[in-house]
Amino acid sequence: MSSAEEIEDLIGKVSLGDRRAFDQLYNLTNAKLFGVCLRVLNNRASAEDVLQETYMKVWRYAERYARGGTSPMTWLITIARNTAIDKLRAHRDSEDIDGMSETLAGAGPTPEQVAVATGEAGRITDCMKELEEPRDKAVRGAYLEGLSYAELAEKLNVPLNTIRTWLRRSLISLRECMER
Amino acid sequence: MTDMPPPDRDDDSLLAAEYVLRLLTPAEKRAFEARFAAEPALLDEIDAWSERLSGMNAEFSEETPRAEVKDALMARLFGEATPAPGFWQRLGLWQGLSFASLLLAGFFAWQNIQTAPTEAPGRGPLYVSEIAAEDQSLRVLAVYDSDAGELQINRTAGQAATGRALELWAIAEGAAPVSLGVLPDTQTAGVPLPEEFHAGVADLTLAISDEPPGGSPTGQPTGAVLAVGRVTEL
Repeated sequence: MSSAEEIEDLIGKVSLGDRRAFDQLYNLTNAKLFGVCLRVLNNRASAEDVLQETYMKVWRYAERYARGGTSPMTWLITIARNTAIDKLRAHRDSEDIDGMSETLAGAGPTPEQVAVATGEAGRITDCMKELEEPRDKAVRGAYLEGLSYAELAEKLNVPLNTIRTWLRRSLISLRECMER
Repeated sequence: MTDMPPPDRDDDSLLAAEYVLRLLTPAEKRAFEARFAAEPALLDEIDAWSERLSGMNAEFSEETPRAEVKDALMARLFGEATPAPGFWQRLGLWQGLSFASLLLAGFFAWQNIQTAPTEAPGRGPLYVSEIAAEDQSLRVLAVYDSDAGELQINRTAGQAATGRALELWAIAEGAAPVSLGVLPDTQTAGVPLPEEFHAGVADLTLAISDEPPGGSPTGQPTGAVLAVGRVTEL
């Protein structure tokens, strides 16, 4: 994985219309962003479409990336994740959502993956463990799979009218834990 | 723990979290976004949640998309938006340049550098380009001197039209031409190659266009592209 400074530098050049930098940025980051699209969409063809849309947004909106805000990789992943989730929502109304449960109950990160996450952000894994099961699955399902409240309620067997309060409680606990 | 609603003071922070998680309904999302301009602190909340949750990014595994995805992306972005229309079509005409002529040209150019009094010949790979018009009315030999980071130029045929200038361009694959400056009237010259091109010199295309004195006013070729050559590693 390349350094944050390198990616930040490339995003800066892309914001000035540098196509070579864009090419390089694609080469350095496409595997991770494709992983994001694939995790949310669970379909290679859709994920490839969304990957293209993601990079088109990166090209167009690179000047909106602000140094010192979120890390550059987080910024890129957010674009990929949001684009993938929007695509998912656009399709899903008419689709059967069975088969989501395996991915929702996916394994937690390996120690190696935890080591990759740095600083404050890396603490979420520890804090996640403090949440009562299956509350951690709700946060994870929303973030990693792009599940909506309705989908979370169904998969976690929580009444739809309480799922929001339920997840919000989890978020408050998470935030408190991470700020300790 | 009860399932009573959380206190109100937390509401904006939680809306920000739900915004990051993409859990708001379209109406809620629009209402929340409408507040950004007047309440920039909301953006900080969003950043804070993005950063908090980004610890889970490690759980997204890396996957390789097909190579065609990148090709399609580049075509969609840059395909029909080439800055100087016609430029690339012209390039196509010249790509059949015979390798033998390049080898010969490179040999002479290399000798030329070798006999230059100031420096020893580079030990690394030799990059050479014959930038030539189809009818050979203009022919310029360029050899990349990696030690000096410049192109050694040797104009072996042709010259600028009266009252016009010859401008040299470097073109990285898929990118817009970048000016390397107006060629001097002398037969040989050293032209600095911008550092951004050093690593990828083997994939460059060089071109010469007909421009007003002093060079193109727009930063892109405005006149006819007189000669084109790809850089080749010898």
